[in-house]
This record gives sequence, structure tokens and C-alpha cells, in this order.
Amino acid sequence: MSILEYNGGAVVAMVGKDCVGIASDLRFGIQAQTISGTQPKIYKIHDKCLIGLAGLATDNQTVFEKIRFRTNIYRLKEEREIRPKTLSNVLSMMLYEKRFGPYFVEPVIMGLDGPDEKPFISAMDLIGAPLLAEDFVLAGSSASEALYGVCESLYRPNLEADELFEVLGQCILSAVDRDAISGWGGVVHIMTKEGITSRYLKGRQD
Amino acid sequence: MDTMTNPQPFEGEHRMGTTIMAAVFDGGVVMGADSRTTTGSYIANRVTDKITPVYDNIFCCRSGSAADTQAISDYVTLYLNLHGNELGEQPEIKTAAALFQTLCYQNKNALQAGIIVAGYHPRTGGEVYTIPLGGALVKSPWTIGGSGSSYIYGFCDTNFRDGMTKQEAMDFVTRAISLAITRDGSSGGVCRLCIIDKTGVERVMVPGNKLPKAYED
Repeated sequence: MSILEYNGGAVVAMVGKDCVGIASDLRFGIQAQTISGTQPKIYKIHDKCLIGLAGLATDNQTVFEKIRFRTNIYRLKEEREIRPKTLSNVLSMMLYEKRFGPYFVEPVIMGLDGPDEKPFISAMDLIGAPLLAEDFVLAGSSASEALYGVCESLYRPNLEADELFEVLGQCILSAVDRDAISGWGGVVHIMTKEGITSRYLKGRQD
Repeated sequence: MDTMTNPQPFEGEHRMGTTIMAAVFDGGVVMGADSRTTTGSYIANRVTDKITPVYDNIFCCRSGSAADTQAISDYVTLYLNLHGNELGEQPEIKTAAALFQTLCYQNKNALQAGIIVAGYHPRTGGEVYTIPLGGALVKSPWTIGGSGSSYIYGFCDTNFRDGMTKQEAMDFVTRAISLAITRDGSSGGVCRLCIIDKTGVERVMVPGNKLPKAYED
């Protein structure tokens, strides 16, 4: 089994009309055994930026702590919050520094970027190759094929915030239902200019 | 040697990670199984029926390689039917179990099959036999198998009683399978039951949302 599939998990982010959303499953397991069903994979950097980390759980935690450190220093020096696009670059450099002994993480970044608060999403592989998309990005080795299929089918541009919530929720739930090592429900965060709305979804508990 | 100590499934082979069990009650047996078949971590079938008949009142629960267990149970069905025709009456459960054992033991290097055989015979009542990976044959009042069984040994040890009623036995099996489905990633879907007694065979399907609730935060 690949090391990226040791803990399982799935994260997907989508762009809507003046809003962005990110969703993840809630399972924390070690290979086939489920330890907990209340472990989301999405962390808040600041009010206009969220990051989701799929992959090896221990590296997810370490990479998040390193990002938290970097963004805190950034905030102290620049006296403002880091832009999601900048954070994406910073993370890409951080991961490439470990090119020959990488962190086994698959990050997904989403936020409202710049003074115009333009919706922004990006993903990267474990050594920092960035993927900037206009529609949706996802991470999670085991559930990724199912996720690609259902996102391609359900996504359309210019979704309003509550439509985006529906689409993200259905995508994450139906994709992880076909993956033995992801699931146990999901969490969806929708970010608009007004703020972040988070909802937990009840899914199959198997 | 290497395949015995470190068996490797083929890339893309269907496996039944699974939780299976059977228990004797007063007047028959209850068999239970989850419904998940995986190819790696992809759930190839989420509504599998792992409880298959080998004779009218004799069924088996299959775990391990889907292909291996299907082939074995097809052979056993053939032999048992020939034997039943010769006898002119239903074969005994121990005969079915012995046939499974012969196939599993003699081909142990090539097979990955964990099988539970159970049924009802008018002379012997309800009986449960288990044939784990190497091909041993063990008769017991109740047995559990598959990757999910590790999580429910404590529950079953505490909750099994001799001489349960049919409903008590069904509840015991449903609760056990439900607990294993919760913890084991290779088990999931619905809980299928098969109750065999003197009146015949009853099949029950309990969907995921109707399973008894275990601890959930």
C-alpha cells in the first residue's frame, strides 16, 4: 500500500460566484482500522484562507504547524494577512525543499485573494508542483478517481453559495462511499465576503 | 515458502475484507455478513452477498479472495448435490464442512479463503463449523471471521449465550456485524442475515442506516 494511502482521506475545493468552498471527509484511520470519525482535514489560516491536507496524517499535522508558523511571522512583519496565492507559493517552496525526502501531504488551498476578494483555489503534489484551476481541485489518493468523476459531472460555473454547498456536499459524500479508507461523514466550509459557513454532514458510518 | 508466509494478492484482485459470523440458537443457526468487496481500497461492490447456499439448508459465509471462495463453494455445491442424490436425504452439515476442509487444506498454498459453514439438519439441529486460512476444521456454537472480526471478539465473548431464541440470536449477530462495520475499513454496506431452522431458510437485509447505533461522537 502506498504511504499516501496509509491514513486515507479526501479533500475537494470548488469555485463559485463570489464564493469558494472546501470539503473533506472526517475519517482518521490506520490502514483498515478506523480510529475516529471526527477528524476533519481542513485548517483555517485566516478569515479569507483555508487549507486542506490529505495524505499521511502525521505529515499533515507537521506541515500545518510549519505553515502556521510562517503565516504568523508573515503577519507580524507585514502587518496584514497573507494572500492565498502567496501562501500557495510559500507552501510549494517549502515542499520542494524536501524534494528527496518529502512530506507525504497533498495540500488544497482555497480563499478570497487580494483586495478584490477574487475566489482562488490551488492544489499541489507532495513535492510542491502547483495546480491552479478555475473550477475545482481535489486531493486524496484513494478517493481521487471517484471524486474527479463526480466533480466533473456535478460542477458548473457561477454557483451561488448554497448551490455550491449542495454540490460540494454531494461530491464528497458519494465519492467517499466508494472508498474503503475515507468517509464517516464530511464537513463543508463555504467562504463568501461576509464570512465562513461550516456545516457537518452525516454520512455512512462504515 | 514465500507465498505461505507472505501471501500477496494480485493487483486488481477482488477481496472480501469482511466480517462474517454464525451462531447456533435454540432450533437452528443464524449467519451474518457485511456486504463490501474491495479492489485495493476501491469498493468494487457495496451490496455483495457473502452468504451462499451449498445445499437447501446448508450455507457458507465467504471471506478472503472472492475468486477463490466462489470457486471452492461451486465445487462443494457440486459434490454435495451428488452426495445428496446418493443418500436420498439432506447431507449432514459436517459432510459439507469436511468437503470445504479437503479443498482448503489440500490447496492451501494457492488459496486465500476463510469459510464458515452452517446449517440445520433434523438429526443434529443447528451446527456451525469454521475453516480458517490453513484448512483446519473447528466445530463450535458460534464463530466469527474476516478482517472485521478482530474488533468484536470481546463483544461476542460477553454476549453469546447458549439456547438463545431466534430473535435474540438475530439481534446478537446484527449488533456484532454493525460494530465491526464501524471500525473495520474493509467491512461495510448492509448487514445480511440468513436464518436456517426446521421451517427452512429466511434471508434478511438490514440497510446501513437501520443498523443498531454504536458509539458515535
